[in-house]
Amino acid sequence: MGKKELKVALFLAWRSLRRGSRSSALLTILIVGMCFTNMIFLPSLFAGIGQTIKTQIVDYEVGNVLVSPQSGEQYITDLDATLDLINSMPGVERATPHYSKGATLKYRQRILGSSIRAIRPTDEKSVSPIHTKMIAGSYLGEGDTGEIIIGKIVAGDATIPQEEEFYSSLGGVRVGDSITVEFGNGYIKDYRVKGIYSTGWTSSDNSALITWSDMEIVEGGSLDKAEYITVKTKPGYSEKFVKDMLMSYGVSPQVHTTDDLLSKAIGSVLQSFDIINMVSLIVSIIITTVVLFIVITIKTINSRKQIGILRAIGVQKEVIMHNYGFQVIILALFGISLGIVIALLLALYLAVNPIVTPEWSAYMYLTPMDLVSNSLILLASAIVAGYVPAYQVSREEIQSSMRA
Amino acid sequence: MIECAGLEKVYQMGNVGVRALDGVSLSIGRGEFVGIMGASGSGKSTLLHMLGLLDVPTSGEITLDGIDVNTLNDYEKTMFRLYKLGYVFQDYALVPELTVAENVFLPAMLRNDRTDEEYTAATFDVLDRIGLSDRRWHLPKELSGGEQQRVAIARAVVNRPDILFADEPCANLDTENSRMVLDLFEEINREMHQTIVMVSHEDWHKKYFDRIIRLRDGKIVEDNHAVS
Repeated sequence: MGKKELKVALFLAWRSLRRGSRSSALLTILIVGMCFTNMIFLPSLFAGIGQTIKTQIVDYEVGNVLVSPQSGEQYITDLDATLDLINSMPGVERATPHYSKGATLKYRQRILGSSIRAIRPTDEKSVSPIHTKMIAGSYLGEGDTGEIIIGKIVAGDATIPQEEEFYSSLGGVRVGDSITVEFGNGYIKDYRVKGIYSTGWTSSDNSALITWSDMEIVEGGSLDKAEYITVKTKPGYSEKFVKDMLMSYGVSPQVHTTDDLLSKAIGSVLQSFDIINMVSLIVSIIITTVVLFIVITIKTINSRKQIGILRAIGVQKEVIMHNYGFQVIILALFGISLGIVIALLLALYLAVNPIVTPEWSAYMYLTPMDLVSNSLILLASAIVAGYVPAYQVSREEIQSSMRA
Repeated sequence: MIECAGLEKVYQMGNVGVRALDGVSLSIGRGEFVGIMGASGSGKSTLLHMLGLLDVPTSGEITLDGIDVNTLNDYEKTMFRLYKLGYVFQDYALVPELTVAENVFLPAMLRNDRTDEEYTAATFDVLDRIGLSDRRWHLPKELSGGEQQRVAIARAVVNRPDILFADEPCANLDTENSRMVLDLFEEINREMHQTIVMVSHEDWHKKYFDRIIRLRDGKIVEDNHAVS
């Protein structure tokens, strides 16, 4: 099979597609395009959900690296020295401590059990983007006392009756209102609501934050301990690198990257996504293969006589086989291109209008590698689907083809 | 040019063997215009297919241009057909998605001894000779039956084959178009000294042939050089 024969096969294939049934070609391209979109859509949507969850966990829960107390200990002690050590490590942007205390929040007739988290506002700004998520009022200042910022869920909505609330709330707190906080140690204090934030991450929006100085007042003395420390890594440094550095310097034996925690927390969810993705991929491949197989089988059956004639006038069977093979490849390439365009448009749409639920918001997380790998998979299945009937018909005896 | 001896072809129809050719032996010289005639089912198309390497005989020998074609494998037969033989079928058998010119130069495209320029020039030349050069970029569906058959003839002769086989080329044509096609064959035979073997069952075609081989029940019953 030389260059000349391939050229003739391509010549026949291109002419057949250009001047043959246009509706059949367009329909085939559309089906391949839809199959490609189906292959891409669900997995990238799940990847998008995974990415959203990961981003939210990094932003509002654990940072890039989480330093926890040694096993058996409740707190990280000698906090200031530990923070100085962490902040001096290569790859560390900033570390910030967290200290929570169970409390009851009271506002008018509403009572809500919650946990109040103490933060160091300046450091927190470097690690978590909560300060950018204020929907009313403003973020905490470093020296603020008697002021609290609360999540949207805690604040609640005055227009929704208590019995219809999905999450319990304070029933419509506004900035400037005063809420009474009764801590677990019996300390009671009225706080002015300085701001309300909405991150879209339920656990974060269901919390309330005060400054470290305020918590020291609650605890009745200097607070040189933390429940955990979240660490933001510098760009270009991997979480694993920072984790290894922290562990090698003996910061704590309990240092975890986001991925460590995610695999524990939502590993089974991601595994379920993978199974669904695989099923979706297999179904798409089967549909594409069957459709292209049927299209080429019908084409070859309808052209049996013509194939016999072509062979009679000296066209090699390989040229005939590649003619149909090239037709499938061309249809598949157009279909894949259409699929890529549809997938990118969907990705663009969902980037602007993500699917938002109380737990997560989803967009399509699409990488060039996803597009390339799915294109190659689909192309390979299309080639198999096209070449099998083409091979069969090209092997038929000339006389039986011509009698068809 | 064409020699065959003891040619037999038996088709198996279920458990019954149907003898389509029964010991046919003949010799056709270069430049002859031979008509194979006979009633329906006499074996004339079967003989043409055997001689044209489109089917294999059950037994017997075929020698074309000094080559025992029974010794050729499938690929070699394909190449033999491409380089040495030309075919015209009764239903034109043009590729519907190719233009007139593309249909004509398709077999020439596959030959290693033709450049693009050469086969294009040969195509235009042959279309000019058959009076279809003004329709060379038309699709077959835009042509009449007679014109389509003339294109099929152009495709068959563009490679200047040693032997041109025609299987009832006028079967689907009216008398006027049939005459036009036969005149064209006669012209090609006369001017290009082209060997032509043509199957026909129309008596009035006899006047075009140098020689008539008449078959009945798979046997040659008449072989002469009679011209009416």
